[in-house]
Amino acid sequence: MDPIHEYGQALTRRHFFGQTSLGLGTAALASLLPAQAARGADGIPSVPHFAPKAKRAIYLFMAGAPSQIDLLDYKPKLNDLFQKDLRTMPDVQKGQRITTMTSGQSSLPIAPSKFKFTQHGKSGAWVSELLPYHARMVDDLAIVKTVHTEAINHDPAITYICTGHQLPGRPSLGSWLSYGLGSMNDNLPSFVVMTPSWSGRQTAQALYNRLWGSAFFPSSHQGVSLRSKGDPVLFLSNPEGIDRDTRRRMLDRLTRLNQQTFENLGDPETRSRIDQAEMAFRMQASVPDLMDISGESKSVLESYGPDVNTPGTFASSCLLARRMIERDVRFVQLFHRGWDQHGNIAKDLVNQTRDVDQPAWALIQDLNRTGLLDDTLVVWGGEFGRTVYCQGGLTRD
Amino acid sequence: MQIRCDLLVILVTFAVPSFADDAIDFNRDIRPILSDNCFACHGPDEGKRESGLRLDLKPNMFGKADSDETIVVPGKPGDSELYRRLISDDPDTRMPPPASTKVIKPEQRELIRKWIEQGAVWQDHWAYQPPVRPELPEVKQADRVRNPIDRFILARLEKQGLTPSEQADKATLIRRVTFDLTGLPPTIQEIDYFLSDDSPDAYEKVVDRLLQSPRYGEHMARFWLDAVRYGDTHGLHLDNYREIWPYRDWVIQAFNDNMPFDQFATEQLAGDLLENATRDQKIATGYIRCNVSTSEGGSISEEVYVRNVVDRVVNFGTVFMGTTFDCTRCHDHKFDPLTQHDFYSLFAYFNSIDGSPLDGNKKDHEPVLPVPDAEQEQQLTELNERIAALQKTINQPWPEVDAEQIAWERKVLDNTPGDKEPWTVLIPREYRSAGGADLKLLDDNSLLASGTNPAKETYEIIGTIDSAKWQTIRLEGLIDPSLTSGGAGRSANSNVVLTEFEAYVASPDKPEEWTRIPIREGWADHEQGDGNFKIANALDGKPDTGWAIEGHAKKENRLAYFLAEKPFGEQSSLLKVVLKHESVYAQHQFGRVRLSVSESNPIGANVPEEFLAIIKLDPEKRNEEQSGKLRKHFRETVTQTAGYVETRTRLAEAQKSKTDLEQKIPTTLVMKELAEPRKSFILNRGEYDQQKDEVPRQTPARFSPFKEEWPNNRLGLAKWLVSEEHPLTARVAVNRMWQQVFGMGIVKTSEDFGSQGEPPSHPQLLDWLAVEFRESGWDMKSFMKTLVMSGTYRQSSKITPELFQKDPANRLLARGPRFRLDAEMLRDQALAVSGLLHEKLGGPSVKPPQPVGLWSAVGYSGSNTVKFVADEGDDKIHRRTLYTFIKRTAPPPQMGTFDAPSREATCVRRERTNTPLQALLLFNDPQYIEAARALAQRTLNDVAGDSAARASHMFRLCTGRVPNETELAELVEGLTLDLQHYTDHPEAAQQLVAPNGEPPAGANVPELAAWTMTANLMLNLDEVVNKN
Repeated sequence: MDPIHEYGQALTRRHFFGQTSLGLGTAALASLLPAQAARGADGIPSVPHFAPKAKRAIYLFMAGAPSQIDLLDYKPKLNDLFQKDLRTMPDVQKGQRITTMTSGQSSLPIAPSKFKFTQHGKSGAWVSELLPYHARMVDDLAIVKTVHTEAINHDPAITYICTGHQLPGRPSLGSWLSYGLGSMNDNLPSFVVMTPSWSGRQTAQALYNRLWGSAFFPSSHQGVSLRSKGDPVLFLSNPEGIDRDTRRRMLDRLTRLNQQTFENLGDPETRSRIDQAEMAFRMQASVPDLMDISGESKSVLESYGPDVNTPGTFASSCLLARRMIERDVRFVQLFHRGWDQHGNIAKDLVNQTRDVDQPAWALIQDLNRTGLLDDTLVVWGGEFGRTVYCQGGLTRD
Repeated sequence: MQIRCDLLVILVTFAVPSFADDAIDFNRDIRPILSDNCFACHGPDEGKRESGLRLDLKPNMFGKADSDETIVVPGKPGDSELYRRLISDDPDTRMPPPASTKVIKPEQRELIRKWIEQGAVWQDHWAYQPPVRPELPEVKQADRVRNPIDRFILARLEKQGLTPSEQADKATLIRRVTFDLTGLPPTIQEIDYFLSDDSPDAYEKVVDRLLQSPRYGEHMARFWLDAVRYGDTHGLHLDNYREIWPYRDWVIQAFNDNMPFDQFATEQLAGDLLENATRDQKIATGYIRCNVSTSEGGSISEEVYVRNVVDRVVNFGTVFMGTTFDCTRCHDHKFDPLTQHDFYSLFAYFNSIDGSPLDGNKKDHEPVLPVPDAEQEQQLTELNERIAALQKTINQPWPEVDAEQIAWERKVLDNTPGDKEPWTVLIPREYRSAGGADLKLLDDNSLLASGTNPAKETYEIIGTIDSAKWQTIRLEGLIDPSLTSGGAGRSANSNVVLTEFEAYVASPDKPEEWTRIPIREGWADHEQGDGNFKIANALDGKPDTGWAIEGHAKKENRLAYFLAEKPFGEQSSLLKVVLKHESVYAQHQFGRVRLSVSESNPIGANVPEEFLAIIKLDPEKRNEEQSGKLRKHFRETVTQTAGYVETRTRLAEAQKSKTDLEQKIPTTLVMKELAEPRKSFILNRGEYDQQKDEVPRQTPARFSPFKEEWPNNRLGLAKWLVSEEHPLTARVAVNRMWQQVFGMGIVKTSEDFGSQGEPPSHPQLLDWLAVEFRESGWDMKSFMKTLVMSGTYRQSSKITPELFQKDPANRLLARGPRFRLDAEMLRDQALAVSGLLHEKLGGPSVKPPQPVGLWSAVGYSGSNTVKFVADEGDDKIHRRTLYTFIKRTAPPPQMGTFDAPSREATCVRRERTNTPLQALLLFNDPQYIEAARALAQRTLNDVAGDSAARASHMFRLCTGRVPNETELAELVEGLTLDLQHYTDHPEAAQQLVAPNGEPPAGANVPELAAWTMTANLMLNLDEVVNKN
């Protein structure tokens, strides 16, 4: 065992497990932590009711607030209440505050979903016609309809759900996982983020680097944003005029010179720097390998739908997510924007669900096929949902 | 799932290597155990305290429990309930209870036992006792002492049996100290001068020179800007541009001027409240405006207001007092003696800003201050003079114009029908409210609504009109004390939206047969500007559009004219007017209205009514105000007299130039106090809408007293903060400067000096430094000098196996500091050694190139920072990194990759990581490649001769020292191989040295390419990436 490495570990993970009280972080850890590791760390407080299985997670984040009542939360009663004013039902609103987008309206007219819901699978779960592929795998899903948030604006809401606090300044979920559980591979980062393109209204709510930032954690735990244009990882490629052999020659010399520095000064960080440079060199090969989907079978590619061949789409990002999980990336998060439809739900939601329905389904099938689903948690959700009443007049036609 | 603020606490307390000796020290050894495991239930938080027991106060610790057992009996662990509970086997009595999941380890129990056995000496928390200058400790190796710092360090080392290291060699030392005082590497000339200077004060001369360099202020400012979270965007939602760089420049200047720290703190906290506050002192209050802000649609202003103020209080606590006030927003502190009452009493100092909590997504979110530079100031003076002169000319007698006016007045009178009062008030005969409001007819024939206040409202008003050729109907929306805020409307904000105006006539003998009067156009004396609220909307037949009067901002009478297509009411008849208020805005109806009719057309006559009325008066009978008004109107809009018109035009031009100039003049966000302070309330669970008791402005009692002679505002707060009795301010400040130089604070958790923070490694040294700093007049340059002049600082940083084993993190400082350079220093170094650095001080932030798409990947489509456009020009792209534009939701990758914070939240201590992404950046970032190319070119230009001489020179530029033989051999061999490669592959060489076109004139392309690779290697050397 390398004493320096061991020391670093002592400063971080063990301490963390020893000191943490129950909170979001621990809960996330507990569900992801292999049972064995939990026993090894002194004092992880209480284990959940089921033995944790997941080692990795994929978070498909629908940014902008997907309309739950048009997708997975069937509310037939709304049909009876069509056009009724929510203000006349104080026992429903229960004094909850509403955004100033609509609080000045004279009435809050209720509108049911215009989309058809049918029951599926053995569970008989109701699913909207907008998600035909999700309907097929409904028995593999746990649909949580009781999520509650306190924020009424997008920025504080998405910051809360990704970092646990409405204001910036806390580490993101993925950086917690990286910090608490460490990396499972030597060639790729442990937390990767993608921001795929979207087909709905192009005026979309913003994202913020803080959603995958490390805040007061060391920056090694921040999410690495994988880009679809230019270098997939920032500064990955050698500049034109430097080929891989030239880089290797430079690196060999760099290593020898740094080794001398280490021998002179004895700073363990120097050795670590040598290792990191080597890992950078390996990433220059492993990341392009990750991005190269030419080896995928035709049937797999087809399952993700036609967009899979266009880099930067949700479909191609889902496929990459599987490829990363396969390579033991700990946490992959996709931020799909464009879900902030307001009065445009009827027209616009269709575009968004078309982007995600089939690829998300294909991802699950693909994980299942390769056995990865056994220890990979896939989460689908947004920062909040939408109200049952309309903004302005009855715009939900 | 609820996340609590405990999470913040647990993360920042990393394990300290234990140096405990036999004598137990309560603060060092015992308090941390109690704080971690007991205080949550038996500490300062009254709301969560179990069994009335608290272990953070002395009387309670030595008093009795509810069970009548004595908690701690000095000398007798067995009789002490505290210890008995720790070792109990019974899960019902054992502490901490198993359900709490907290565990006190056997060795910790043993410490507590020993402490009780040794007499259980109590100490109040160290950080809340004012520092007292300690005696300087005696040391054996007195010859190693260069200044008092060394005594404290040596005393501890001697106790631990460690030997300090030798002094670092001169080349290492000058590079180290140049980085620590200016953030830049030394030049070869500076190194040579130092090496050749054998005088005893050679090093001190270097230090003095560096402290005088303007680069010093830039370097020092950067740490402060992390702490106060300075950014160039608002940070939330749209994340638009925010203009506050003059504050950044103020910070730089303050350091360069060696402003004493007490003044530095006071001007930032309360510059605006100082007597005859200067412009600079007002700029300094930008500190209070550095918090992130938003203008997201749908935001509740009160919620954002609370958030902003909370952010300010929390930052104030961390930066100046190393105290985690954040916890007390929702509840009493779990670990430190701070209550929720304390929090909202501090809140009261920061809550009375004279401006909206929402930033309006604009760069100059009020309150702001214009900050013209000297040239702009000059232009402004000139323009003001020109305007004054022109105004004088225009105000002099103009007989020609006066004659023209008399003629015009006559003409207007000739064209205006009748000289009777043009308006006939309609006397309502019938009137009703569709929404059920009570309408009451007042003496002036207006109707006042009261009672039921429906969401939507339509008024119908019927009266008789005499036979005439009526043309215009006038609607007056009158203010009334009985209406909301004394305005004209009935809605909660007293605004009104009139969605439709309709008028009908009927003959008195057939009162039910109404004929619609077609309206040609409308005119209103005011229309709400933000959005589509024009008067025409009240005539378009659409119920969802309307005329809004902006009643929330304007509490005044409103006036609208409606001009009929053709005259109506030629026989005596009934007139019915229908006023519809049907917008989505609830209750936006007029509360008091009056109608009149006129035969004239005030819209078409082009002479507004108020002037017409004056014209109709005999000039002899006009008072001065009336004459003046009319003259002004005539001269501004009617006259054709050439000389006058020309003067008027020139004046308008000068005024426009002034407005244009003012728009170009930078502004900066400042603090300005409301005339009447806002009240502060304890907010239940920190919720903005759950106000509990009102609290006064008050500083936390536990820290130090607030003197009566101080004003109870931010100025008094600043005086309290820098008073001699304050236990934290000086300690926190010196600890941060220590951390800056030595890599780690004496208190490692520089953000938390409370019970959950780490106790100081050298408590007496910390106190000595704090007192020394304060008594020196808070002299920062002198303090920095004391640090770098110490023998401790000047030691070699070589780590021996023994040193590593005994003190891996170098807390005891038996060796000099060695750690990776910060993000800014790395890039600045590359620019400096390559000769690219442009040393301009201050000014707007700059945008050196960065990879495409980083902003658009996250930015809101409507944001003015969604599209990144790189600057051009040496004075923009090669500036010190301190000046790089910080978009807080997508900061520059060169920063974040090397642990720089995003500036959204405070950061008083950066982490220091070592990652492959950093290696990739240093390998391949185009800015680093450009620097490598320039470094290569510079070396080839500056050094004639063989490869060895050149490689040696380049190595010296980067490391400050001469390479040894092995190193030189490596470099030359590598160069030879690369040269061969690029000679064989000239196209690759061309790509590397001239990516955008032509290589430098006269360059040997393969040679330059090979040297560029060597330079790229140099900039990646561990020794170059580190301070050694």
